[in-house]
Amino acid sequence: MNRKIVPSEHNPNASSLIDRLLAYAILLVWCSTAMLSQNPSVPVSVAGSPGIRVTHVLGLEGVSGNTTGNLTIEDNTLQFQKSGGATNQVSIASIQAVFLGEQSKQVGGLPMTLGKAATPFGGGRVISLFSHKKYDTLTVEYLDVNGGLHGAIFQLNKGQGEVIKNELVAKGVHVTEVEVQPKKQSTSEVESESK
Amino acid sequence: MKANKKLTSVVLSILIIFAAAPSQLAAQTAVAKTPSDGKPSAPQWCVQVDKIVTGDVTLEPAFRIAIYENLLQELAKTRRFKEVFRSGDRNARDIADLLILKTTVQKYTPGSETRRAVTTVSGATKLKVRSQLYTRDGRLILERVVDGNVRFFGGNLRATHNLARNIAKTIKQSSLPTPTSSIPEQKAERSPVSTSGAGEELSAADDGR
Repeated sequence: MNRKIVPSEHNPNASSLIDRLLAYAILLVWCSTAMLSQNPSVPVSVAGSPGIRVTHVLGLEGVSGNTTGNLTIEDNTLQFQKSGGATNQVSIASIQAVFLGEQSKQVGGLPMTLGKAATPFGGGRVISLFSHKKYDTLTVEYLDVNGGLHGAIFQLNKGQGEVIKNELVAKGVHVTEVEVQPKKQSTSEVESESK
Repeated sequence: MKANKKLTSVVLSILIIFAAAPSQLAAQTAVAKTPSDGKPSAPQWCVQVDKIVTGDVTLEPAFRIAIYENLLQELAKTRRFKEVFRSGDRNARDIADLLILKTTVQKYTPGSETRRAVTTVSGATKLKVRSQLYTRDGRLILERVVDGNVRFFGGNLRATHNLARNIAKTIKQSSLPTPTSSIPEQKAERSPVSTSGAGEELSAADDGR
């Protein structure tokens, strides 16, 4: 008897509902990536601890690229232990130079890239603006038993490079911090050089 | 009955075609494999990859090391060389047929992965290097200018992988002179003049892409 008659224009339209859901989804992804990229890193000491979580980018003998593991300094060796796997050691005496740098990378890897590509109305580009994170890079130059030069690159969370650097300096390794932003070379200069 | 016969013949013909196809494919594969398998192994050079020289260009050490390590990997993949040695490797001292690969960075344009992801058209990381192959006695036998870029997907260090792949590809496609230690064996077959075709290789520039 007391039933209200709802006008037909107040009913939610299916397409507008999808649009709203999509907008909420984009907002959710955006917020989560922003939070992810602002995750603070707590510096810890390397010696006598399980080590620093790093990603081996390339260079270590017998370890494939983009392998995560722990980097530790024990008994005058720099050790990289794969997650649940073997340990690779580099004698600190064989280290020629260590460079500390930083780089900014997009987070999320391939799934995130695909998600961004699938987001309509250029939403993926907006997500990309906020889904990057700064990392420290540790580049180690060392010699093998035959005198051959090796180079290994590790990617660490921001701030953890400083911890490793301090440990290596204490062991007598010369560490160079890369601060200079490389300048763009002029094309004319290159052409004159190549002639 | 007629329809049944037609259907049977069609099925039979299809079966015959399918039965014949794999044997044809196998024959083609065998023909394709014969030249590489039956080819007598040509004398091969060994190569030693020297440190990357940055010269006046300011290049991050991670990039320098990444070029060096990627070069070692990519050159080994080409199977053009008997062995690939690292810079300073003592095992390379006794090898007569050794080429030394010197790489000098000529141009480096730092890019940004975020700029690439946001704009697509800007933020490319570009590298251009001069690669030179020297013999042990200092004779230049190959010189190329090669570049490696990352324009769309991937981190900045991917440029070094692309560059190393382009250098390896360029070397693989170039004709190198016969190693000196194998010349006495081939003297009977070839005239001494034709042993070195290195002159035409000099100072040819290749932009990579």
